Amino acid sequence: MVIRICPSRTVRFCPLSRATMSSSVDGLSTFLTYSLNNLESAFLRIPGSAVVVRYVKSSHQNDPGRTVLELILVAFAIFTLLQSRTRADRNGKHFIQFNEKVVVVLRIEDIKTETWQEIDELVDEWTPEPLAAPLDAIEASDLAAVPIVVGQNGPKPTLVKQPSKIIANLASYNFTGLAGKEIIKERAIETLRKYGLGSCGPPGFYGTLDVHMQLERDLADFLGAEAAIIYSQGFSTISSVIPAFCKRGDIIVADRGVNFAIQKGIQISRSTVRWYDHNDLKSLEDVLDSVEKERKKRRGPLTRRFIITEGIFEKDGAMTDLPKLIEIKYRKKYRLILDESISFGTVGRTGRGLTELYNVPAAKVDMLVGSMAIGLCAGGGFCAGSQNVIDHQQINGPSFVFSASMPALLAVSASEGIEILRSSPSILTKLQQNVRAARALLDDLDCISIPSHPASPIIHLHVRSKSGAGGGLLHPASAATVSAKPSNPASVLPRDASKWDWDINAEERALQQVVDEALKRGVMITRAKRLRGQEMVEARPSIRLALTSELSADEVKKAVKIVCQALKDVLRK
Amino acid sequence: MSLFKKKTPSRSATPVTSYFSALAQAETRPVNGVVPTATPALSLSSSVTSSSEDTILHEEDMEIDNSDGLALPARAPNSSEVFSTVHTEFGHCSNGDYRFVSQHIPGTPVPAHVDQDPPYYILLSTYISYLILICMGHLRDFVGKRLRPASYRHLMPSDGYAPLNSDFDSFYTRRLKTRMDECFSQPVTGVAGRTIQLLDRISPDYNHHQIFTGTRTRALNISSYNYLGFAQARGGCADAVEAAIREHGISSCGSRLEGGSSDLHVLAEALVAKFMGTEDALISSMGFATNSAYIPSLVSKGCLVISDELNHASIRFGVRLSGANVQMFRHNDMAALESLLREAISQGQPKTHRPWKKILIIVEGLYSMEGTLVNLPAIMELKKKYKFYLFVDEAHSVGALGPHGRGVADYFNIPPRSIDILMGTFTKSFGAAGGYIAGNKSLIDRLRVRGHSGPYAEAMTPPVLTQVVASMASIMGISAPPLTSSNSSSSTLKLPLEVEPYHHPAPAPASSLPSWLSLPPSLSDGTEGRSRLRRLAFNSRYLHQGLIKLGFITYGHPASPIVPLLLFNPGKMNMFHWMMKDRQTPIIVVVVAYPATPLVTSRVRFCVSAAHTKEDIDTVLRACDEVGDVLDLKHGLRRSERWTVDQVCERALELVNL
Repeated sequence: MVIRICPSRTVRFCPLSRATMSSSVDGLSTFLTYSLNNLESAFLRIPGSAVVVRYVKSSHQNDPGRTVLELILVAFAIFTLLQSRTRADRNGKHFIQFNEKVVVVLRIEDIKTETWQEIDELVDEWTPEPLAAPLDAIEASDLAAVPIVVGQNGPKPTLVKQPSKIIANLASYNFTGLAGKEIIKERAIETLRKYGLGSCGPPGFYGTLDVHMQLERDLADFLGAEAAIIYSQGFSTISSVIPAFCKRGDIIVADRGVNFAIQKGIQISRSTVRWYDHNDLKSLEDVLDSVEKERKKRRGPLTRRFIITEGIFEKDGAMTDLPKLIEIKYRKKYRLILDESISFGTVGRTGRGLTELYNVPAAKVDMLVGSMAIGLCAGGGFCAGSQNVIDHQQINGPSFVFSASMPALLAVSASEGIEILRSSPSILTKLQQNVRAARALLDDLDCISIPSHPASPIIHLHVRSKSGAGGGLLHPASAATVSAKPSNPASVLPRDASKWDWDINAEERALQQVVDEALKRGVMITRAKRLRGQEMVEARPSIRLALTSELSADEVKKAVKIVCQALKDVLRK
Repeated sequence: MSLFKKKTPSRSATPVTSYFSALAQAETRPVNGVVPTATPALSLSSSVTSSSEDTILHEEDMEIDNSDGLALPARAPNSSEVFSTVHTEFGHCSNGDYRFVSQHIPGTPVPAHVDQDPPYYILLSTYISYLILICMGHLRDFVGKRLRPASYRHLMPSDGYAPLNSDFDSFYTRRLKTRMDECFSQPVTGVAGRTIQLLDRISPDYNHHQIFTGTRTRALNISSYNYLGFAQARGGCADAVEAAIREHGISSCGSRLEGGSSDLHVLAEALVAKFMGTEDALISSMGFATNSAYIPSLVSKGCLVISDELNHASIRFGVRLSGANVQMFRHNDMAALESLLREAISQGQPKTHRPWKKILIIVEGLYSMEGTLVNLPAIMELKKKYKFYLFVDEAHSVGALGPHGRGVADYFNIPPRSIDILMGTFTKSFGAAGGYIAGNKSLIDRLRVRGHSGPYAEAMTPPVLTQVVASMASIMGISAPPLTSSNSSSSTLKLPLEVEPYHHPAPAPASSLPSWLSLPPSLSDGTEGRSRLRRLAFNSRYLHQGLIKLGFITYGHPASPIVPLLLFNPGKMNMFHWMMKDRQTPIIVVVVAYPATPLVTSRVRFCVSAAHTKEDIDTVLRACDEVGDVLDLKHGLRRSERWTVDQVCERALELVNL
């Protein structure tokens, strides 16, 4: 405004000079005067503009330096606003400036292509790695050796490449024989005829069916929890439950031997993780103490704290001492996320899992995660807990919110499975008899070691180490035998990891031979397949037997004898 | 006004008795020799024996109440029209004009993500609405914590435990979402087909609890991802699933690599590969997990993932697990993508400046909230120059787009083998569950061995596999088995190792189906599949263009079966949802808001299905027209360019062919 007022005055006060000016300058100045006058009057017409003008004038009069300062401030504000908001590293020292001069401008049918030579050269030079390396011979043969069932899977399935009859299937998860139950099939077909197959929507948008809600109630009732929530895949249940509750800054104390799904859940949660020795509650207490000490030292705020472990460990079949764990959790004020994927539907009088086995109320476990795909031979997984815990997941569990709900007939099959387990405890008794029968034979074998709990329905078989140093990885015995110096809680690797002397490749080959040998003799078993290089701790190679109540004790004995013979034949060579 | 549908007696809808009398007349009328184009095969098939009367009944023991106009077709069929579907699941429509081929016309530009701006007063009032909501929420929290501490206990530290959910983190849920909870998580029952049955509920305490009244309401379903209408409790696919349950049971009993594989898996994977036109494919039992469990085995540290900013949560989940670097580009903006690529390749990895090991671009074929199609032709051009790998998530587009239903590549007529990874789900178009990844053989084998699902996740169950196989085969059509006897001797299992000339898109070879599976002729010759594709394309375009002509602001590609209608103001979401549900013919809709969309662009998302008839789309358009006037939603076309709803319904064919 200051500027605007001055030239108009100049023009007004110098009428004589006009004659001497050239006509073009004259026209220009008239135009300027005219337009500036216009602007000024337009500005003055805005209500309140007089105040601004008065302010500027008086401020300029009082202190011309202030006007300069204010102008600089205005200019700076405009400069800041116009500053392009590119990524930070563009201005950072790590950004390399290339010569972006336009070299060629092509014009083909209005498509303008500009090329920058230097970058183009780099683009031409760059050769990416192949997307996926082809399988090597061992991987290919492993993949080819995966047994493929024809028709219904069950205790005695038919295999594609196996001419002889399979006498026992100790590979597939069919612990309580629900996979073959006719009544479940009938109920599933009824459901199909009422609901169709797919739910065609996520639970939030018309994907919640009455049968889903019924299954959630059935699960909660069965376990004795306040509420439950179902996910459409067992494996991704816990990877979703963990990040729903554990956020950045929260503390997770987890077992070193937890399964892959838990590892992925912990990874995605970005919480602070501390590890305790596998299935060693003494080590857990030490770690909890050290976490508390750390917090006091830093005077950090109270954050959410979780203990994450499994009921029966998928990796080795070891079992958690639940009552002691619960006692510790309450004493130290942690919340417990317990993965019962293997133990739900397989242990306890009626298959309610570890809580039934140890007679601990399920309500004491804050988040009890299980799998209907494994425990009930249906599909999906669940999390049981208090109403608050369940409500929270309905909005925050990624694979609950962003995935279609499970097919109605799988939900009904799971409900029916619960009903069967509830009404016939003899199934579980039979399963336990079979487990004992198998263990009786396997425990006598001197070429293997078994890290699994005697009651575990999955039995892992390791090659016995030549050094004879206990059961090896993940077994509590191995932690006890080494010196008293504890492992570093911040590292997932236990202290004695460097002393592990087994040759993963050789043992895997040998165990695969055992599997092939057993299959030739009619017993279907499997190696515990691992994603080598992706697991946080490389598990020791093992053969995993999964028992079932569908076979009689004699059949189990016969099958296990064949496995023992195959083990002896291969491992003693 | 009551919260529930008014149970007024029917006005215009056909009474049941008159429907049957019309049907009886139709039966007696002589056939005039015109074979309907839609279902030529059916008139010859054995399913004729089941009369049309049966097929319109939705449940056997339920008397037909057509007061909502949903149970019976608008017009009684004449004797030449025989329908094999239940009208409430899959609408009866034999008018061959109401069909359209979903394909890209070469040379035409791909419409970008149209951001049509609303008037400023709408934007302003939207911001003010949120401001008021947020202020009120904080005020209530402030007062509530002091006056009623008991109801805030779960948000406060207590007894040495930090709260599971801090009051700040849950603010949005408690103070904004709760207000419109009646729009979400509505429990339903029955088939999620053309119509769906809602379990009525009321909330006595402002949505903190929902109480079921025990009654049900049938509503027109324009919300489920049932693009091709395969969500059916009856028909060829459901029969096949029943046979599968008897043959294979419910469960696969384990993971793919540990004793859960069956011949059905091998068959289905081969069929998926055939369908997609790739060398091989793998199947995973959950759609979300297909992304979250397989992306980490494609990229790792030292790789760069360039991801569209609107990619689905499962992709983000997978990429986060992979440890690769991620950069995002503006939704469907090819110029931004190219400049990002140039920068990434020329700068290399951060700090070290080593070249990236690989660059993987992840895009979706059809974006579930926007209805936009990826600009695949442009990406393929870029791919030639910049040598990145391309991952296309076809969760919504497979089955729903393209003249053969093969997805976005089919729509743009791009050879599927030029795309590195085609991922998709079976939840949507196929009425099943789970997902697949298709690509070349060495890649798929690598994923089988390295993907998280192989050793650890349960394999897909036989009923779901069968639904996939049956619905997919009926889209493809099944080619007649060759006359040579070589097939009869071998087992039912055909491994995908056979060398046969590559031909895409081809019908499914008869040998690729299980021996016990028999589809009715209309499904196996592909006529019904084709008609479903055409009906979906017609319905999608009709709804899309109709809404535009009525003056609404919509997003997305006209070919997309997802049609978002913009509401903007958060308060209108509740109202829109409720006003659509509270009509004579109740319509259920999905309303979405922040955080699924940007803050201002709250929207309704319609998911069109082949199961809808043209009359159903008319119903939706009429409802939107009325509600749109009340709620002031028409900010698109200028008043002079708009059509009335009657004009739209009458000139549907003209609209679709625009």
